[in-house]
Amino acid sequence: MKKRAITLYINGEEFNLNVPVHYTLLQVIRDQLNLMDVKYGCGRGECGACTVLVDDDKIVCHDTDKTTKYCEAKRGGRKAILACMTLAATMDGKRLTTVAGLDQDGKLHPVQEAFVEESAIQCGFCTPGMVLKGVAILEKNPKPTEQEIRKELEGNICRCTGYVKIVKAVEVARDRMATAKK
Amino acid sequence: MSSSRIMPEFELLMPQSISEAVEMLAKHKAQAAVMSGGTDVIVSMTKGFVAPYVISLAEIPDLDYVTYDKKAGLRIGAMATLQQVADTPEVKENYPALWKSAAINGTPQTRNMATVVGNVLRASPSGDCGCAIMATGGSVVLEGPKGKREVSIDDFFIDYRVTARKPEEFAVEVNLPPMENGTCTAFARMTRTTLDLSKVNAAVRLDMSGKTCKEARVVMGAVAPTTLRLKKTEALLKGSAITEEVLAKVAATVPTEISPIDDVRSSAEYRRQVSGVLVKRVIEEACK
Repeated sequence: MKKRAITLYINGEEFNLNVPVHYTLLQVIRDQLNLMDVKYGCGRGECGACTVLVDDDKIVCHDTDKTTKYCEAKRGGRKAILACMTLAATMDGKRLTTVAGLDQDGKLHPVQEAFVEESAIQCGFCTPGMVLKGVAILEKNPKPTEQEIRKELEGNICRCTGYVKIVKAVEVARDRMATAKK
Repeated sequence: MSSSRIMPEFELLMPQSISEAVEMLAKHKAQAAVMSGGTDVIVSMTKGFVAPYVISLAEIPDLDYVTYDKKAGLRIGAMATLQQVADTPEVKENYPALWKSAAINGTPQTRNMATVVGNVLRASPSGDCGCAIMATGGSVVLEGPKGKREVSIDDFFIDYRVTARKPEEFAVEVNLPPMENGTCTAFARMTRTTLDLSKVNAAVRLDMSGKTCKEARVVMGAVAPTTLRLKKTEALLKGSAITEEVLAKVAATVPTEISPIDDVRSSAEYRRQVSGVLVKRVIEEACK
């Protein structure tokens, strides 16, 4: 079996791994690292259960003079991708966030808090993906309308069909995060 | 045997430069699947598609560009995602057909992964970006052991999932021409559900001089083995004002130019029925 040595940073923790090259990121996260908060739903990019956030970093290099180059990591936002359709071996050096890594200093992320308060959870299977997508929405656009939230949640399926409360929860988090900023 | 979860084994190649990628492709040719975002390659592998080698473009620096210049037009690098294109204001303003085909494609998550160039290269007859790009006009830049060559989008789609790309070449970028004043484009599609592949799609480019259409490009997808230009329909529009009468002729001509089939997403009969109306609506949208 062909393998590749890679480093992943998941929720701030460094993992040095030797991954079979035909493994998806989801297989590595669940089966090798036993991080079960990332779910397997459809395996074909329709349900969003395996959503993870990846730091959209870019290495930008400047020529300081003719011989030396100065490179820096330019930090972009976090974007939501699907772990079931990503080859783990192509993710060397990436920084990932799963729902278990959203809390800060033991305090839930405002989106997580809002999901609890609004009872936006029934069976809970879609919840990790929904919460992460909610965070990605608000990091990209802090003031989305209800319609924009619905549009952006299009790739996450809830089989209990609790969409009304999920959308409400993202709206509550939006308002709370806007107030916290002031 | 195929499983929905587990891919067959393959060898993964991670070139660090375009020249290294060209070398690898020249060596493995059709044995290698080129992967950009992975949304097509990985899903087809879980469904039984086997390639002994996968060449990932993920670690080649600076392939994820979307650049616009008023005089030179639009350039989209092989690793630029659908979301990047949808988030570029110059695309929305100058290339509304392409913008829409990228912005409605798949889900927000797959748009962060899938690439425009990959969507074109897959050469699915129902591909949305390919339809919009063929209507807008443009070219695919291919790089192989003998250097670079540019293939017009009109000559790019050869047959069902077959393109002008040779096995030892890989697609570096897609170019779209600059848009003159009076040029308008539009794209529309029909699906069973929001996140579905198109059962039919259509795009047009109209070069208008006042109320007269000087040149027209009319394209439909999922109605033939490849994305298809409708030349008779284009001839009807060329030199005419876009009147109700012309649009009625267009709607009657479109079904005679296509050869749709029955499949899981729709029937040949339905596709033929709606094709004229869809093209009419896209023309109206472009002329707005």
